[in-house]
Amino acid sequence: MKEANKMKIGAILLGCVLGLSLIGITRTVLASGWSGREMEQESYEQERNESERYEHERNEYRRQEAETRPMSAVQQAYVEECGSCHMAYPAGLLPPQSWDKIMKGLEDHFGENAELDDQTRAELSRYLQQASAPREGQYRRMIRNLDQQAPMRITELPYFRHKHREIPSRFIQGNDKVGSLSQCDSCHRGAQRGWFDEDSVVIPGVGRRDG
Amino acid sequence: MKPGLVLLCGMLVVNVWLPAHAQSSAAKQIKGWQSQGAAAADPQQGKLLWFSKHGVRSCSSCHGASPLEAGQHAKTRKPIKPMALSKNPARFTSQRKTEKWFRRNCKWTWGRECTAQEKVDILSWLSSQ
Repeated sequence: MKEANKMKIGAILLGCVLGLSLIGITRTVLASGWSGREMEQESYEQERNESERYEHERNEYRRQEAETRPMSAVQQAYVEECGSCHMAYPAGLLPPQSWDKIMKGLEDHFGENAELDDQTRAELSRYLQQASAPREGQYRRMIRNLDQQAPMRITELPYFRHKHREIPSRFIQGNDKVGSLSQCDSCHRGAQRGWFDEDSVVIPGVGRRDG
Repeated sequence: MKPGLVLLCGMLVVNVWLPAHAQSSAAKQIKGWQSQGAAAADPQQGKLLWFSKHGVRSCSSCHGASPLEAGQHAKTRKPIKPMALSKNPARFTSQRKTEKWFRRNCKWTWGRECTAQEKVDILSWLSSQ
């Protein structure tokens, strides 16, 4: 009799524990991601295959390297000259033909005057050409599907649009703390240093990309 | 003794040398424009210029109504440190930088370069704030 009671109590306790853990797991699953419905999970999962994971490890190594590497004199000049009004966008985010067009039109730079003296302009143009989106390496995707087109805005690049297509506008344009997709560093905290990994995204007022 | 000395030197640099350097640097640039034909500085005229509009644009569009406060870029929203020398002793310490921004911002704001006299008046007002 007593043994049977003990068994019953044991079974009830086990049931409680299992039930609670099931609730916990469900809640965790539901809470992960930033809102579930807006995000197309399937395309997201597709990108998370083996090679991407390998890529992630390599990126992590690159990020640590980028954060500790001191800036060269010309990089410092670039940040000083081009980072006063907006983030000094890493040169690798645009192809050489785009930088060429931008540097030739600084007198009307998206409606602003961003003139430089001739010497500084020549020096920075050289740097931007040399550091622009390459065919290989971290930034090779930026020129995907671009051919020889010379878009003036990073936000016009097919790859950029593809990567940001799922983000609801209320997180960006409708978000006082962000305002526009041009403000990379509002969400990509390492943007200035060329670090754009998805795992490090924090949208102000919304939260992390991956829960 | 030693850390105290270093601290004292640091304080001297930040509180005495830097503002004095900025003042003298601003004064030097004003003299430079005067040698190009500008008359004596009129800070009150500089203040009027700060608010004077060309269309909807004025200096205060981005720098704000008071040079003692931080401003914000009208389009990109990037914060701009105060222009007043008393709030920001690093201002006007590089002549190259001062000329670069006068050239860019006068053209954007008023659609033309500023005259030497306008630069003298504006800089004298900002460095007296």
